[in-house]
Amino acid sequence: MLFNSFVFIFAFLPVTYTVFWLLRTSRARYVWLTATGYVFYGYWNPRFCLLMAFSTLVSYSAGLGFLRWTDPRRRKLCLVVPIVVDLSLLAFFKYANFGLQTARGVAHVFGADVSVPHLDIILPVGISFYTFHTITYIVDSYRGVIRPTRNFFEFSTYVSLFSQLVAGPIVRFRQIEEDLEAIAAHDRRRWIQRGVSFFVIGLVEKVLVADTLAAFVDPALASYASLSTLGAWMAMLGYSFQLYFDFSGYSTMAVGLGYLFGLRIPQNFNSPYKATDPSDFWRRWHISLSSVLRDYLYIPLGGNRDGTWRTYRNLMITMLLGGLWHGASWTFVFWGGYHGLLLSLYRAYGKAWDALPHAARQAGMFLLAVVGWVFFRSSTFAMALGVLRTMFVPTSGVLVAQPALAAMALIAAGSWAMVGPNAFEMRHEYRLPGRLVLASGFATALAIVIGLRSSPFLYFQF
Amino acid sequence: MATTSAPLNTKLSQPDAPDVRRDERARSAGTGLAGWLLIVLVFVFSVEFACRVEDWVMYRMPILSRYRSLDDLVVRDAMGMHGRPNARFEKWVMNDLGMRGPPTTKTPAPGTVRVITVGASETFGLRESPNREYPRQLEDSLNAQVSRVSCSRPEIRRFEVLNAAFAGMGLPTIEQDVRNRLAPLGAKIVVIYPSPASYLDEQAPAAARPDSSGQAEQAMPLRRALYPRALSRMREQLKQALPEVIKTPLRARQTRAMVAAHPPGWRFESVPSDRLAQYDADLRRLIGTIRRVGATPVLVTHANEFVGRPSADAPMLIAWEKFYPRATGRTIIAVDSVARALTIAAGADSGVVTVDAARTLAGQPLSAFADFVHFTDLGASVMAGVVRDGVVGAVCSAVESAAPADRGGAR
Repeated sequence: MLFNSFVFIFAFLPVTYTVFWLLRTSRARYVWLTATGYVFYGYWNPRFCLLMAFSTLVSYSAGLGFLRWTDPRRRKLCLVVPIVVDLSLLAFFKYANFGLQTARGVAHVFGADVSVPHLDIILPVGISFYTFHTITYIVDSYRGVIRPTRNFFEFSTYVSLFSQLVAGPIVRFRQIEEDLEAIAAHDRRRWIQRGVSFFVIGLVEKVLVADTLAAFVDPALASYASLSTLGAWMAMLGYSFQLYFDFSGYSTMAVGLGYLFGLRIPQNFNSPYKATDPSDFWRRWHISLSSVLRDYLYIPLGGNRDGTWRTYRNLMITMLLGGLWHGASWTFVFWGGYHGLLLSLYRAYGKAWDALPHAARQAGMFLLAVVGWVFFRSSTFAMALGVLRTMFVPTSGVLVAQPALAAMALIAAGSWAMVGPNAFEMRHEYRLPGRLVLASGFATALAIVIGLRSSPFLYFQF
Repeated sequence: MATTSAPLNTKLSQPDAPDVRRDERARSAGTGLAGWLLIVLVFVFSVEFACRVEDWVMYRMPILSRYRSLDDLVVRDAMGMHGRPNARFEKWVMNDLGMRGPPTTKTPAPGTVRVITVGASETFGLRESPNREYPRQLEDSLNAQVSRVSCSRPEIRRFEVLNAAFAGMGLPTIEQDVRNRLAPLGAKIVVIYPSPASYLDEQAPAAARPDSSGQAEQAMPLRRALYPRALSRMREQLKQALPEVIKTPLRARQTRAMVAAHPPGWRFESVPSDRLAQYDADLRRLIGTIRRVGATPVLVTHANEFVGRPSADAPMLIAWEKFYPRATGRTIIAVDSVARALTIAAGADSGVVTVDAARTLAGQPLSAFADFVHFTDLGASVMAGVVRDGVVGAVCSAVESAAPADRGGAR
């Protein structure tokens, strides 16, 4: 089920919301949110609910283990076993074919032609996200950052909460623990206006901005070889904004939905195209993932504590794995490595970069991000190099479809992304004119939703 | 003055205080209500306006278009029933000849072989993406092969396919259309893709009665332009959003109610031979008419999702039954199958090139069908491929049969 679908907006959400507020006890609300989370998830493929339930049980049991045992060996077992189980599931469903194909490629390099079967595996939606939810819970419990919960339904609510289940943000237990504990004491009216406002702004970002851009970006990149230089730039600029508004729209809707149930979900995007350097970019783009990578990978690797070269090495490892997290393809790994390199270069030459005027740094960082998105979007290196060549070597060819409308969409999206406020910078306490604007935005997005043409979220594939 | 005015003021204001508060509350409630009403109005207007802008962006459908549904794309005039010239509704765009497709001229350009496709909604195209219906793909496919058609003469430079079908068009109406309207269009080939299931309607198909009243020429009233498009979208979404477990019993109930409203024996439990005999007669009459107007017919057997798939999709069969409640699902499938044999026989008897699309489509994945009979882009592409071979065969045999005459002329 998609947030921007008719079923979600007109059936799932109203029913979930109404029943949730009719229930009075914490237990009833946990059970209800868990059940609705499974219905929401099972709408794609009910079989994968078993996988999520298994992952939930394993992590919950680990939490109980931490509560029960103080012996370091047993605690370590409670840390390692569930993480291995979770990562094995992720590796099997997401990376098995990638691993086999890579092994075949390596064997080929060494002169051995090995026949490798293609496993018929369907990637369960959101597995990357809920695996990280459970891993952060286990690690934080082990470190003593949080006290694991004994309440199974509180924990299952955390894992299967529909607002963050399939495309994040990656919410750590400690970030919503307080709100989950007080779930029976929430005041429905306190957050409703913020909830509706965030949800509508996210819907507008997704349906009106991202999907409009997708209408010319997708066909253009599907036949990238025929594009002119201007066409390739329009397609890639369009994709850069499409990806941002698609994912940011989803995250903003998730925040809004959280508010509707009294749960404060943290910000995931802070106008990343306003970033002025690579480090700033990663403080603004997919904040929940970059902070998880920082706290659970980069810092445990040693962070910047062991000298310059070790810092670069840690940055590269973190970003390469971050790239791989996005998808089972070497283009994602390359994209991660590219950003690792940018972060390392900035660490080395940051002073010179910072001496540039603000506008030049913002434009420069945006350009570097666009170049990175070429690898992120391309299914093969041949495609990435083809698109980059067309962008940087004057080439004749075709423009995108409906170029005038596409240019208008690019200007509107670019202005909002690079100059305008993000949802967290807006006021959500409206008087009549503000409510009229919100109603109009919601209605316009709804018109597209009921036209059966809105598309799935890009980040679902990760 | 002050001593006298103060008590007086107090006296005067005291009884008013609750009234003032009540007035303020009423005013504030009124303002709140007016505000909400305004929000609702803006919401409704925005939904409708956005639907219209999107239709314009996607399909270039005018903001104040008077066409509200597919039914508006058909007109009945002195020539019978056919597509309405220059009408457009969403992705369906009619040209000035009243056919789905790009603009064209009354006579084909020199060097162009004109092919006309006739049939019902399967030919008109319902579920495919714009310009992916089988006649459009057939044109692309023929033109991609034009230089490779070995039998073609050098003067054949391109093929043009006109889609003269519309939803619900039966064989007698097609025959009338060929006679009255399509004859002067200079078609070399007419491809017939009949819908045998239409012979299971309450009445067997008959030619649409021509209407000489001149109503067809009258412009549609402006109020039609104000029909809320958001409502149609909502209705469509509701249909789509209902899960099959609800939709299928609802359809079955509708069919049962229709059967119950008729006397026993009304329903066809087996293939009705009189209806099939009429199908055969109508088909042969159409072949004759096409030949009389100087074109070569090509017959195509009717494909459906159930041919060659014994474990047929039961909910889809119930959906098909809803369209033809007079016959059981198994009877509809059987009629399609018998009609296939009759079509092949009619082709053999009349020396007409016959394309067995039913057999070809049976070997395709189920994703070739969007429902029981309508094609997806994939299905339309497969269909275009097999019909192309038939058209090329018909063009070749026409060239070969014309060759002795040419030689005779030369002599």
